[in-house]
Amino acid sequence: MTDTATEMKVTAASDIEVDRDALDNSIREFAVENGDYYVGAFHKIHDATGILPNTFNTAAALFGPLWSASRAIWGMFWGFLILEIIAWVQIGRGAWGNPGADMTERALRQEARADQMLEKAAAATEQADIDRFEKLAANLKNTASKSFEKADAAQAEAFGIMLTGLILLLVFKLVQGFYANSVYEKQYSRWRIDPDSTESGRSTRNMGMGAILTAAIGPLIVYKFTVSGSLPVLDEFPEDSASAVFLGEGNGTLYATLAKWMEARIDAAAIAGGDVFDGIVAGVRTVLDALTLALNGSPWPVVMLVIAVTAWRAAGPRVAIFTVASMAYVAVLGYWATAMETVALVGASVILCVVFGIPLGIWFGKSRRAYRAAEPVLDLMQTLPAFVYLIPVIAFFGTGNPPGILATIIFGMPPVIRLTALGMRGVPESIKEAADAFGATRWQKLKDVEIPLALPSIMAGVNQTILMCLSMVVIISLIGGGGLGKDVLEALQYAAKGQGLLAGFSILFLAMVMDRIVQGAFRRDDQK
Amino acid sequence: MSETVVKLTDVWKIFGARAEEAMAAVQSEGIGKPEVLEQFQCVVGVQSASFEVARGEIFCIMGLSGSGKSTLVRHVNRLIEPTAGSIEIMGSDVSAMSDAELRRVRAQQIGMVFQHMALMPHRSVRDNVAYPLEIRKVSKSKRWAISDHALGLVDLTGYEDRLPKELSGGMQQRVGIARALASDPEILLMDEPFSALDPLIRLQLQDQFKALVAQLQKTTLFITHDLDEAIRIGHRIAIMKDGVIVQIGTPEEIVMNPADDYVREFVQGISKLKLVKAHSIMQPMDSYKDSLDGAPRADHGADLDQLIDLAVTTEQPVVITDGSAEVGIVTKPRLLRGIQGGKDD
Repeated sequence: MTDTATEMKVTAASDIEVDRDALDNSIREFAVENGDYYVGAFHKIHDATGILPNTFNTAAALFGPLWSASRAIWGMFWGFLILEIIAWVQIGRGAWGNPGADMTERALRQEARADQMLEKAAAATEQADIDRFEKLAANLKNTASKSFEKADAAQAEAFGIMLTGLILLLVFKLVQGFYANSVYEKQYSRWRIDPDSTESGRSTRNMGMGAILTAAIGPLIVYKFTVSGSLPVLDEFPEDSASAVFLGEGNGTLYATLAKWMEARIDAAAIAGGDVFDGIVAGVRTVLDALTLALNGSPWPVVMLVIAVTAWRAAGPRVAIFTVASMAYVAVLGYWATAMETVALVGASVILCVVFGIPLGIWFGKSRRAYRAAEPVLDLMQTLPAFVYLIPVIAFFGTGNPPGILATIIFGMPPVIRLTALGMRGVPESIKEAADAFGATRWQKLKDVEIPLALPSIMAGVNQTILMCLSMVVIISLIGGGGLGKDVLEALQYAAKGQGLLAGFSILFLAMVMDRIVQGAFRRDDQK
Repeated sequence: MSETVVKLTDVWKIFGARAEEAMAAVQSEGIGKPEVLEQFQCVVGVQSASFEVARGEIFCIMGLSGSGKSTLVRHVNRLIEPTAGSIEIMGSDVSAMSDAELRRVRAQQIGMVFQHMALMPHRSVRDNVAYPLEIRKVSKSKRWAISDHALGLVDLTGYEDRLPKELSGGMQQRVGIARALASDPEILLMDEPFSALDPLIRLQLQDQFKALVAQLQKTTLFITHDLDEAIRIGHRIAIMKDGVIVQIGTPEEIVMNPADDYVREFVQGISKLKLVKAHSIMQPMDSYKDSLDGAPRADHGADLDQLIDLAVTTEQPVVITDGSAEVGIVTKPRLLRGIQGGKDD
């Protein structure tokens, strides 16, 4: 025996011979049944250089989806099951369906009407009436015979439809026959990489499953599309009968019962927790009132001046000019008071979001487990359409501005929580360790290291929260929120285009001013 | 120089959920690292480490990444809790300290320097250096004065009001050293402080650091993965491999008498000229039978470099003296072997 390791020879690529044996055994092991056939077929595929299939699998062509099911090629099974059913529907429509049925029915109706007219003509006494009815009857007869012609023509097309179906079926069978081995070879390649989770061989279980699926889907579809006036139970889900199974006969639908039950629960909870909910509303109202007092209670020139100066200091002269122009637009159009109400609403929402969001974010940033638990809730808060949670908000908190703020908080709080948590997790481990090494307490570490280093991320979160809160301005007017959103909602209800657009632009300017001022402030912070 | 400042006795660190069980098994059955991993899914970070560091000594811990050296040094200020064993700082047991006591020791007695500087980017250089004092609630005027002094020690006067990112890597690490020195600690823990710097700056900082520590008499634990650095800086070196301290000794001892093949491999490339002293290669006086009249003489602390300078002038061996007494001789073959690293004839 020679030592193969030392006798490694460098061979030109053209001299390399294909070692069939190992491959053959592997293919046999994969295919199990009819191994030799697949060895041959795969070899042909492996040797081929063109793109056209060069093998034909008779079993796949004959049995179609049943073959792919038995070999566990489920993608191919579903694809060709649907295609073959389409072909069978055509065949069925041609063979026993009644394409002219509609037309024949119409023609019969028209004939009956004509007969009626003739009866009326016979019963009539005046010559004018007789002529009129006879003419109508003649016309109807005419259309009826035309309808019969059309029905016959449609019936005549039946053969064509059946032929189309047969040709389609033949084409699908041929495609399956030609491509089956290529697809199966792909499955073989996958099996070589991952033999544990790729099925191999032919299994009775799979074949049975394929047969059951075919039997369950095929006949029903063919029946539904080929027989005019099929069973009603196939057209519509039997909701009443299904409800009867759960609730008993004559007790209404499951839907109505469930809705009624939930309503009762929510009402009960609203009553039970009435004090708590009232307390929350009172708390929110305090914040809102304070802001409203500051913005709407102060003389308008003072508020304008303060906002303009803030814009100047925070974001520079260009934003200040834009701010002044926007405020002039709002004031001149008489939106000043409502606009300030909107600012107060958004401001109160943002304040509450920040006050509760940042501590929560810090907690979630530190505790991975808490964050995992909270993440689905945060996702829900952001993805749930606002209209859906407006309903429980009304139920628990009533209508008006404070519930509007609560709805806004639900939507606006997630970004500040998420970005605070992100910032906390982004604080380098080494700097935290350094603080520990110098004897910092947990509070010192949090205040001197973690929060300052997470601040850019936290600020980005606050900015996003502001914008999210602004986007709720119109929606909360649906539950009695005031401000500019209310004007837009009224305009929508009365289709008042002018009013709606003017109020809409006020909101737009408000949003742009807030965004610019806040962003400007953060940018300056970063540059410091 | 002889007072013990840091003392570790049989310290173990086992990482993993079942560290306690694993430790018990190690102590009762004496199972090894692979068994701990297999039976308890725990990783042994430090295995039975014991050493003492005397006041003013620079004790280097040398090992490759993953050898447990950073883990070991973090036991000294209990950033990592030991699984077993005791750690004493100036006679008091670190593991027994309450949280408040531990924070006080960390703030006052131990300064630490990190590989990646770990400076706070939002604070000025001065405020970074002053942070350990701020934690101890030292008044602002006092801590600014101390911090300016510490920055002066590392030649950074004039950069106090800059932000760390405006400084080069070498300067940032000097800020790190100043911060460690600011609270005038007894002990310095240096966790690969110069590894991230380029070689020239590293050499410069090593010299500066050595001088500084000698001047301030700080007890230092210095971690490095670079044996050259350890030899250049350390009074004594501990070599770690896979959580075990393989050898502890002076640079000369390690280079001349490596404890095992692992250490031998490390010291192979090290130049012995400045490291090996005459007393470690000298032979007894009576091994040389011929006359020693006119032979060159050298102190027993002379290094190989100096011995070569003497030896090239004559055919005779070099006589080694201790004060006025003649204690041994170094022949040429002996000298050449010494340069090779003390191979036996």
